[in-house]
Amino acid sequence: MPAIEYQGSSAPYSLIGRSILSIRRDQVHAMDTGHHYDAGLDQELDAFQRRVAVLFQDLAASDGGDELLSISWVRKLLDTFLGCQEEFCVILFNHRAAVGRPPLDRMIADFFERSVKALDVCNAIRDGIDHFRQWRKHLEIVLVALADPRQQRRGTLGEGQLRRARKSLTDLTLLMLDEKDAAGCVLSNRNRSFGRSSGSSSRDHHQHHRSSGGHFRSLSWSVSRSWSAARQLQAIAGNLAAPRGHEVVATSGLAVGVFTMSSVLLFVMWALVAAIPCQDRGLGIHFSVPRSYPWAAPILSLHERIVEESKKKDRKNSSGLLKEIQQIEKCTHHLTELMDAIKFPVTEEKEAGIRHWLEELAQVCESMKGGLDPLERQVREVFHRIVRSRTEGLDCLSHNPE
Amino acid sequence: MEKAQPLPPQKSNSFSSSSREEKLRESNRSLSFGAIKLEDRHQKKETDYNREDRIKEGKEINADEKQEEKEEATKENFQEAEPNFIAISEEIDHFLAILVSLQDAQFQISEPPELPESNIETFIAMLEMEIATYESGEQKWSPDHDEICLLDAFNRLHKLTSALTPLSSNAKYNHAMNRTGSALHHAMAFLEDEFFSLLDENSRAKQQDPGSASSKTKRPPSFSRPQQQPQQQHEQDRCILPSAESSTHEDSPTYPPDVVERLRGIAAAMISAGYVTECSEVFAVARHNAFYAGLSSLGFEKIGIDDVQKMAWDSLEGEIATWIRAFRHSITVSFPSERELFDIVFSGHQEIANSLFSDLALRAVFQLLNFAEAVAMTKRSTEKLFKMLDIYESLRDLMPTIDAILSVEANEEEESASSPAMDLKSEISAIRSRLGEAAVAIFCDLETSIKTDTGKTPVPGGAVHPLTRYVMNYLKYACEYKNTLEQIFRDYQRSERPSSYDDDGDDAPSDSTSNHENKENNNNADDPNPFAEQLMEVMELLHANLESKSKLYKDQALCNIFLMNNGRYIMKKIKGAAEINELLGDAWCRKRSSDLRQYHKNYQRETWSKVLACFRDGGLNVKGNVSKPVLKERFKSFNAMFDEILKTQSSWVVSDEQLQSELRVSISAVVVPAYRSFLGRYSQYLDPGRQTEKYIKFGADDLENYIDELFDGNPSSMARRRT
Repeated sequence: MPAIEYQGSSAPYSLIGRSILSIRRDQVHAMDTGHHYDAGLDQELDAFQRRVAVLFQDLAASDGGDELLSISWVRKLLDTFLGCQEEFCVILFNHRAAVGRPPLDRMIADFFERSVKALDVCNAIRDGIDHFRQWRKHLEIVLVALADPRQQRRGTLGEGQLRRARKSLTDLTLLMLDEKDAAGCVLSNRNRSFGRSSGSSSRDHHQHHRSSGGHFRSLSWSVSRSWSAARQLQAIAGNLAAPRGHEVVATSGLAVGVFTMSSVLLFVMWALVAAIPCQDRGLGIHFSVPRSYPWAAPILSLHERIVEESKKKDRKNSSGLLKEIQQIEKCTHHLTELMDAIKFPVTEEKEAGIRHWLEELAQVCESMKGGLDPLERQVREVFHRIVRSRTEGLDCLSHNPE
Repeated sequence: MEKAQPLPPQKSNSFSSSSREEKLRESNRSLSFGAIKLEDRHQKKETDYNREDRIKEGKEINADEKQEEKEEATKENFQEAEPNFIAISEEIDHFLAILVSLQDAQFQISEPPELPESNIETFIAMLEMEIATYESGEQKWSPDHDEICLLDAFNRLHKLTSALTPLSSNAKYNHAMNRTGSALHHAMAFLEDEFFSLLDENSRAKQQDPGSASSKTKRPPSFSRPQQQPQQQHEQDRCILPSAESSTHEDSPTYPPDVVERLRGIAAAMISAGYVTECSEVFAVARHNAFYAGLSSLGFEKIGIDDVQKMAWDSLEGEIATWIRAFRHSITVSFPSERELFDIVFSGHQEIANSLFSDLALRAVFQLLNFAEAVAMTKRSTEKLFKMLDIYESLRDLMPTIDAILSVEANEEEESASSPAMDLKSEISAIRSRLGEAAVAIFCDLETSIKTDTGKTPVPGGAVHPLTRYVMNYLKYACEYKNTLEQIFRDYQRSERPSSYDDDGDDAPSDSTSNHENKENNNNADDPNPFAEQLMEVMELLHANLESKSKLYKDQALCNIFLMNNGRYIMKKIKGAAEINELLGDAWCRKRSSDLRQYHKNYQRETWSKVLACFRDGGLNVKGNVSKPVLKERFKSFNAMFDEILKTQSSWVVSDEQLQSELRVSISAVVVPAYRSFLGRYSQYLDPGRQTEKYIKFGADDLENYIDELFDGNPSSMARRRT
């Protein structure tokens, strides 16, 4: 697969606040003619579209380590976005004189408006990653509770250990449900740990009282209560349409570039919302791209595959389509079943069954551990890039060197 | 409350499928809603009887009797139980000592010591019962209701479990281990709940009506002990306390000391039993949510970036003020008190305290920064400058505190360049430089607004032009931020120039921002001050604009009055603001003062030199005699001129009182004496009576009075006086 090299991946934060364009300034200097008509423009735009197509083809072909919707795939998705964004910025910069002219000025302003909406999605996603971390804590409890006794000079699996693990799984399931149902109704019924000695009915009453303030023990979202990822995606998608012939002509083809980047932005944000838990997810945006664009095929195929995934029975009620979430759900389900069926003393066979799923759980945990931090940083990087290019773009619009 | 909700799958949990009778006791906890409740109770009752042989008489009466009896039972129960509990605890300690000594001796234990099964069973049963009392909500676990020292007992339970575990290949031991292990887990789950509700209720109570918090603690004491009376007394005293505390301690501490102490105790117990993740997680979530509740009680609401862009400026202005308050409060008040809380609750576990606190602080600061970021991105307009500078200053001023809180400095060397704290630092400086850029752009936009103010309608009466007022007031306000603006302009220049001239544009903005403290100190004369330059530029533009506006007046005198008015207004504003004065420098002020004097002279010349010409002796004397017709002509033309001047110039506006009086005085000083002497020399040549009356319309003193009516913007004053 072709490596996507965007400057930020090595030192993303050192670049904040600095002009992206200045990175490329020397290389674009020669082309910086500012002429209305530029013979190289067609070529540049073609190259840009081809590049976008290649990046997304690569993303669509992902398998093995980068399985669709895995954390590493999402990271690759973000890399792809950054790559496209950078190329797009260079094109805008090269033709900045044209940027301020109607009708392109309106199209660019429109694009930046979409990007601002994407910033809120980035923040929501970052929030979702935080929630994800909280889930991982619960998985860690399970792993700690059921740590292999043979490695710890301990005896067989004890009831206390199992109960601890079981409780953590219950809590986790509730948390993951909670992400989906913002209403805390299910929590009023929650039974934090099974096998209480007595007074359970009044206990539940008591707990209901405790949790009446809303979410029981989940982190509050950092977006406002009324914020909705679904609505935000709708807003990003609003009025996005392929440029008509006369618009393409009037902008020397730049309208095509703007449409390409807007579509990339929309798709990437949509895929993020699909994958990662956030407030009021919804994937029902209208996504239409004429097949004639070279990048349309891979993006539409990815879109289709993700929609398919979301319609699968076991994924319908998920708080996110991320592969890791599915794995957690699977492990949780199996472990819960095995534990509920267990009798003491635990037979080796039963223990081995539990161990099998524990190993899988440990793997998920590990990949989350290694993946979440870089993912979060990348989301942040996307955020900064969008802010930066918007600021520069608006500068171009207002100080148009005529 | 108990709606028929679809139960989540995990509700079918528990090990109830086990046939063991101990398990029955704990079965289907989760199903104990509504209709199932009775059955559940029934089950429990059975179980309790099954246990009868193992547990002393009088214990389980309490478990499932009617509500009224329950309390009574508890009392009885504990009256008896207490001494036993101590004895049993001692026996367990004794047994523990044996196990430990065996393990220490590294004996290959072929036959482990005999298990004190009934003691362990009783111990567990009593603990379970105690927990159940608290869990049922009948009673609240508190230092006043902790006769058996629950935490100590849990600790003992933990030790017992750990000691039994290595011997669990023995069937009896295995059985006991499972008993103690699950009891320990129950104990920990109980602590977790207690921990959370202590954190949650107490922080929530702070924001609500203090009275409601106290009513919760008002419960009749349910332990009948010999010292019941004092105990009750104590209990009632306690009821008052929390409300008194929560109303007097508004901002700190986060929790009353006794609550903090209990939190610490619970945390220590959970950590030592290996429940560190549960404990930290509950704590982190509770404090995280409390922190955000605190923010919203300060008025700070979560607003999306997109929404900020759409917000009307006056609402956004309010939000900014709130944000600044919330931000400052968080950094200077909330964080230190959180830090203290974390340190106490996790005393002896500094690493946990550190990591939990930095998680909270980082998350909170990132969240708060988001708003600043959103504001920096809003459409630029002149009125936003000052609020943006306010945000900028808050970020700048609180940066050292933030650094200290996250101990960025201390760890800088060991931290990799990509630690979250470093990310935060560069994020803050990025936002600052964005705000800075916005501020520079907005300030420079002032140039544009001056340049584009090309209205063709002159201000009536030559008064101060609205543009002058606007620009000067804006500048005056801006110069209250002089140091900040100077810093921003320097940073901006530094970040712009290298990137446009250097190929190696590798200097991050954080470099430039971290240096400015030094720069500020050696801010000497040869250090270029781009802000001062910009200010000068604005002043020059304003000057040029006013000059061209003055040309809109056809009357040269009025044109000078206009320039004088505006010039004076400008000077006055500058004199009134030491910052601008300093930036523009004395030379500039001298230059403008001399301009003003010139305008004044021009005006005098334009208006009054013709008047004074009437008083010339030349031309009046024809062959040694005063020519009467010429004299009459002189008086006539003086009268007409003065009349005309009065008519027009009294409608001119000089609103600056000092300037007005300076003008009048200088006019009087020139005109009145000249007129007086002219009258003295020539009035005798006119025939007294009709002729004098006709030609001498003004006495010298009248003249002075009339001159005092000039420039008051009242055109009809002359006419009124005449009639």
